[in-house]
Amino acid sequence: MGSRAGIGALVVLVACAVALLAPVLAPYDPTRSSVFFLQGPSYAHLFGTDELGRDILSRVIHGTRTSLAIGVGASLLAVVIGAPIGLAAGYLGGRLDIAVVQLIDLFIALPGLVLALIITVMVGPSLHNLVLVLGFVMWPVVARIVRGQTLAVREHAYIEAAVAAGGSALWIIRRHVWPNIFRIVAAQFAITVSFAIITSASLSFLGLGIPPPVPDWGSMVRSGFDVLAINPALSLAPGAAIATLVLGFYLLGNSGK
Amino acid sequence: MLTVIVRRFLLAIPTLLALTALLFFSVTTILGSPATMMLGEDASPKAIAELNARYGFDRPAHVQYFDWLGRALTGDFGRSYTSQDPVGAAIAGALPVTLELSAWAILLAVTAAVGLNSLPNRPALRRFVVLGNLVGITMPNFILGIGLIFLFSVQLGWLPTTGWVPWSDGVLAHLRHMIMPVLTLSAYYFGAFSLVYRAEFSDVYHRLYIRTARAKGLSPAKVAYKHALPNAILPVITFAGLSMGHLTGGAVVTETVFSMPGVGRLFVAAIAGRDFPIMLAVGMVVVVGVVVMNLIADILYTIVNPQIRLE
Repeated sequence: MGSRAGIGALVVLVACAVALLAPVLAPYDPTRSSVFFLQGPSYAHLFGTDELGRDILSRVIHGTRTSLAIGVGASLLAVVIGAPIGLAAGYLGGRLDIAVVQLIDLFIALPGLVLALIITVMVGPSLHNLVLVLGFVMWPVVARIVRGQTLAVREHAYIEAAVAAGGSALWIIRRHVWPNIFRIVAAQFAITVSFAIITSASLSFLGLGIPPPVPDWGSMVRSGFDVLAINPALSLAPGAAIATLVLGFYLLGNSGK
Repeated sequence: MLTVIVRRFLLAIPTLLALTALLFFSVTTILGSPATMMLGEDASPKAIAELNARYGFDRPAHVQYFDWLGRALTGDFGRSYTSQDPVGAAIAGALPVTLELSAWAILLAVTAAVGLNSLPNRPALRRFVVLGNLVGITMPNFILGIGLIFLFSVQLGWLPTTGWVPWSDGVLAHLRHMIMPVLTLSAYYFGAFSLVYRAEFSDVYHRLYIRTARAKGLSPAKVAYKHALPNAILPVITFAGLSMGHLTGGAVVTETVFSMPGVGRLFVAAIAGRDFPIMLAVGMVVVVGVVVMNLIADILYTIVNPQIRLE
């Protein structure tokens, strides 16, 4: 298990470094077009050029920023919404818990991608909106896991002791429940990032990505799909980047559980 | 049994009403308006007013909802804004494609997950299956689909790139067009079902009746497939039922990659053309499908394990 976590951490670290150093690493300006359309791989352009003559490698490098921003942003939002709801439902129980569980079950039964498609087409695709939409679609999964963990922690004697000592619900949740479930929440956060990246890339592929000219992996795969026989790298390079980043976050999160 | 099923159906009705209302109000009032969605943000007020009057968007939202619901219940989902064709007919034509694709995908995923994860424990084999699960779960299906097309169609030329052929044009041609879409859609579920099944299988495998079966000299394969499998498959069935909503998302992507004339591609086209009646109707079909599939999973559950009764 350890080596898997290591691979995950390595992928995520490299991705963060690439995102930070994108302007230094990228050989060309990712948005500058040229007259050399759809060229195959060469020394000047390692992955060739796209349909507007832009360097694919530079666009893949800069696309790391977009994917990380959406994945991490949406997952943070999902945790910020889902964790308090899960904590409250799991700790307080009763009618609140029943209502929350029903809401969560309803949300989880619905297709997240279809939901995200409908909301995105209504509010319009932009980095900011995509983070909001994906965070909104994914919070129930976080809430369900936090609730389950809270239920388990609540049974421990130290919670009983804290209650006997006169601690308020809010204080006990903050001081005793949250620190005990934090590790699981952090692991779930990484897994949520991986699914947020898949969903946002799928939205881009379906035509609801961040508007051009911002380099976006899902949109690149889409435009490369039409010219798969001419320059497969246009589709396959960003595709491999998405798959690797998703795998990295998934391995990292899965080993933390 | 029958009364239970009927009661479950009746219980699903409020859920369906709530979900369709939520969908309807989100699209008509909460998140924007059909007029601005269709005409764009900078349409003139006059054009918006004209469009609202033509389609009745100027009426109160609840009046529109009940009007739409009343017609939908009689099978009339209105006409598409872009093609002017009846929406009900378009969906009825597309639904069999999606249902067939989904059925094959789930069947393949369950068979492969249960079959491969019941294999005798050989480390090399096990590592291979675990790697397959991991790839299935994390590989976005549109990338898997494009990768398959690149390998089997563009490079090797073994399979047709995209498209769909009806049964009537030849069984072989039909199945050849289905291979890659079914693989693409089933990959995630193979991985997810494997995790669920393997956890249960390992648990079951340490029970006393398994030890008894092995002690009386049954072959490991017979113990695994005849004694452990039926007892470990229950969570997979529940999970498969719960996956139906998620599956429609996968179908949307898969049908788009492989240009299949199913409900998913209809939906994507409706999104691109801001075709509000089709969006609503597909949303309704998905919601009904999810509720019905969950019910079927519950019923299957009682058949596989007679100890469980629906209440």
